[in-house]
Amino acid sequence: MKSISPVLKKYTPPALAIALFLMAWSFGAKQIETSLGQVPGPAMVLDQARILWQEHVAERQKAREFYERQKDRRAAMLEVNPSATVAAVSYTGKPTYVDQILTSLKTVFMGFVIASLVALPIGIICGLSKTVMRALNPLIQVFKPVSPLAWLPIVTMVVSAVYVTNSAWLPKSFLISAITVSLCSLWATLINTAMGVASVNPDYINVARVLQLSPLKKTFKVLLPATLPLIFTGLRISLGVGWMVLIASEMLAQNPGLGKFIWDEFQNGSSQSLAKIMVAVFTIGLIGFVLDRIMVELQKRVSFERVHA
Amino acid sequence: MKSTTTHYWLMATASAIVTILVFAACGGRTSSPVTEASAAGTQTASGDVIEKPELVLGFIKLTDMAPLAIAKEKGFFEEEGLYVRLEAQANWKVLLDRVISGELDGAHMLAGQPIGATIGFGTKAEVVTPLSMDLNGNGITVSNEVWQAMKPHIPTENGKPVHPISAAALQPVLEKFRNEGRPFRMGMVFPVSTHNYELRYWLAAAGISPGYYTESDITGTTDADVLLSVTPPPQMPATLEAGTINGYCVGEPWNQQAVFKGIGVPVITDYEIWKNNPEKVFGVSKAWADRHPNTLIAITKALIRACKWLDENEMANRAEAVAILARPEYAGADPEVIANSMTGTFEYEKGDKRSLPDFNVFFRFHATYPYYSDCIWYLTQMRRWGQITTSHSNEWYFETARKVYLPEVWLEAARRLEQEGHLTKEEIPETDGFKPATGDFIDGIIYDGRDPVGYLNKFSVGLKDNL
Amino acid sequence: MLNHTTMLLELKEVNIGFGEGAKRIDVLSNINLAVKEGESIAIVGFTGSGKTTLIKLMAGLLMPDAGQVLFKDQPVTGPGRERGIVFQNYSLLPWLTVLRNVMLAVDEVYPAWPKKERLAHAQRYIEMVNLRHAVSKRPAELSGGMRQRVSLARTLAMNPEVLLMDEPLGALDAITRSSLQQEIIKIRNASKTTTLLITNDVDEAILMADRVIPLNPGPNATLGPSFRVDIDRRADRTSLNSNPAFIRLRNEVIEYLLDKRSEVGTRNTGKFMLPNLSPVLPQSVFGSTRSKAA
Repeated sequence: MKSISPVLKKYTPPALAIALFLMAWSFGAKQIETSLGQVPGPAMVLDQARILWQEHVAERQKAREFYERQKDRRAAMLEVNPSATVAAVSYTGKPTYVDQILTSLKTVFMGFVIASLVALPIGIICGLSKTVMRALNPLIQVFKPVSPLAWLPIVTMVVSAVYVTNSAWLPKSFLISAITVSLCSLWATLINTAMGVASVNPDYINVARVLQLSPLKKTFKVLLPATLPLIFTGLRISLGVGWMVLIASEMLAQNPGLGKFIWDEFQNGSSQSLAKIMVAVFTIGLIGFVLDRIMVELQKRVSFERVHA
Repeated sequence: MKSTTTHYWLMATASAIVTILVFAACGGRTSSPVTEASAAGTQTASGDVIEKPELVLGFIKLTDMAPLAIAKEKGFFEEEGLYVRLEAQANWKVLLDRVISGELDGAHMLAGQPIGATIGFGTKAEVVTPLSMDLNGNGITVSNEVWQAMKPHIPTENGKPVHPISAAALQPVLEKFRNEGRPFRMGMVFPVSTHNYELRYWLAAAGISPGYYTESDITGTTDADVLLSVTPPPQMPATLEAGTINGYCVGEPWNQQAVFKGIGVPVITDYEIWKNNPEKVFGVSKAWADRHPNTLIAITKALIRACKWLDENEMANRAEAVAILARPEYAGADPEVIANSMTGTFEYEKGDKRSLPDFNVFFRFHATYPYYSDCIWYLTQMRRWGQITTSHSNEWYFETARKVYLPEVWLEAARRLEQEGHLTKEEIPETDGFKPATGDFIDGIIYDGRDPVGYLNKFSVGLKDNL
Repeated sequence: MLNHTTMLLELKEVNIGFGEGAKRIDVLSNINLAVKEGESIAIVGFTGSGKTTLIKLMAGLLMPDAGQVLFKDQPVTGPGRERGIVFQNYSLLPWLTVLRNVMLAVDEVYPAWPKKERLAHAQRYIEMVNLRHAVSKRPAELSGGMRQRVSLARTLAMNPEVLLMDEPLGALDAITRSSLQQEIIKIRNASKTTTLLITNDVDEAILMADRVIPLNPGPNATLGPSFRVDIDRRADRTSLNSNPAFIRLRNEVIEYLLDKRSEVGTRNTGKFMLPNLSPVLPQSVFGSTRSKAA
């Protein structure tokens, strides 16, 4: 089969699989009648995706018009009375599907950054000191399996109590979702970092000893670079977990992202709801896939060995 | 030549910082409302400064959030100088918490929520209301199995069941369940919801015990013949289908949804339990109300106008309202499902559509005025079932009602609307806050808001006060 | 300048073992060794006899259980740049280029020098091991022989007073080994650094050292007698093979070692601690089409 072009060889199997999946879905969907109507097939889902995009475009247009009107109104008012205090008001339309996607992305990044900032230093210390590791290990093992939905009420109450001002810059719901994401996703990074630092090739440690490197230099010049591949593996896993957790936590924390979109559609219970939810499912999957790919690329740049993608 | 490791660290740190800054700058919301500090108050027509023109109001996806949607879509909010974002909430608890914490400026609330919060059942906080959003609007639906078992015990006329259906028809079904060792469960939406009290009233009127709350039992299932529990409205049809509950009391569109999907049968609406009972209110936290008096009046004005629009011209606008409510950002259900109850009919058994023009009343019968006697009725029911654990004098009931209900705000708003020509004199009630005594209940017991303690002692099922 | 009679590096009655109680293994006992400045010593022995332990003691990476390790009459308390060590597995940091690996050492040892001087210093040593063409390569792109040369360059760039080499050529093929031996000899002759080489190859020992000391098989290994090397090694390697003095010396050492081993055979065999070596396989195993030249 040498005559088949390598491009074909690479892309035909997945293309075929996807086509088969779509056919099976289309067929199977027609067979099931739920109380919300037929299970939507690929055509309907695609249709809803198109509608969501159109709504987004229309909403953006409305916003633009609103700001135009506001500009004119303000100009008119200032003409009449130059010293009047005129407030600038933002458009109060609903968040569109694209807005919700962006909100979800921002939230997951925030959560991921918080998780990394917490997990990396603790992981390094755990890796360096067996005593610390022994001390923290039971806590880590106990908190690691906790589901985000279990954390949510606690996080909500704590954030509400501690974060009393409510600036639009950092809404509470955003913070609650981000923190919940952190709590669930930091464990992978922590454990991988600790493991990596603890199992750094003793040869490198010997080099550091012979060169009599200070502890700080040893950490940054030898330990961390040596552990970087494992750290990135941890980060990659953390990001994946975080993305999954985010959708769940958004549903209850009211953060206006994809999770809330799904929950609102479920509450709507209209005949298009199921199709819209499926659009969201695919969106979530695709974004998760892209995020993972980005992490793999980053990992490749950082790694000095091969990365198993 | 720079070290590659240092290079990587620099790159990583730089990208992290850039990322954080970019996202932080964009903030959590993409179309975020500006906070009070940055938006100077806009002026109303009367010259008062609106303290907070940009608002976020919460609601639950039910058809009776209509006044909020109409006030926004028909421009009533904007005419008052308000720029409002309406945000659907996941459930009643989250909604209440967020109003209390200030994340929401105000919300579409169950009439019992401001009351419950103020007396401290559940989260304790001072929540007040200047406006009742609607009357009626709930229904009790049972599963197909239960309906089939109930039917033989319901008198019929011309082949159709006679309404209102008393819970007496449920008694034999309970018997059957008891013999089979199965608990009979029903759902309602919140411990201090109108649905809870209406369901209990209906059951108790036929001598069935719906369970009591005690100091130790906050689920309200002590000595219960029927076990009541909280389920969020959108999940009720699914839970009914699954058999986890055997019936529920909820607002629309969830009763008609059950009929549409063929998974249940509504047996009675709350209009038939208590004619023209107060259902939803618009609630804000007391702290918020104190800080934004002019804004509150402006909101009340806009909502009164919206309610009036909904009931105007013998409900001529209802069709348009249905179209608006069917949008995914509001109630979101299919228009056909919403249309029934909003346009004056209600479908009980599939095919059994009856005229019920007053299923949702938004403005007629002075529906928007916050009567003290309405508040007191809820307090009596809270006491009847033990949510209020101690006895109180009539005075206590009056005082509490005055704390929660703000007819002064309503009157101010109405006065201004009258001046602007949006309301007629007749549309403003002349009252001391107490509706006349009424016996329009399914069991005929007369309620006089001026003697709540006496009222309590009239019931055969329920706690009594002996003051 | 040291007094003639002061030794640069001394081990006196050194004992060291690992483990506790029943699991205890006494690796070395009663080790006595004196290294004069400028000397070049080779220690030969069997695998697992404790050669790495011995050199680690000298480097200061391990502490003796009894006895003393002295450097210029001062007890050794830890590793230091004056006792440079070339490890068996090269120990290059794989994320750094050749230059950066050497610079790591230079930066630590000569922090006061301006950057340009340090760079020049590092490059001088990289040149010395003939790796100028590979300065910006990473260890993964180098062959085993090249990596060992980088390791050597790094250690030499520290200008140690004693150069300790732990089986530096053990993981290489015969030809690379041979060429690297020549290089090391050349460098050593130029710099006259005191050298201590650990090897399992008697030929190599004789070729590269002034004194060959066998390490008796363990446990409780002790050092055997010194064998002085008075052969003229300036002749090329192949003709050495037929040099009778060379042959005689080699046989003496080998016979000594074999005798010692058969003695041990009648005793209980203890556990051998094998060195932790990872072999360097040519790149073609993982898919690249060209193997790197040594």
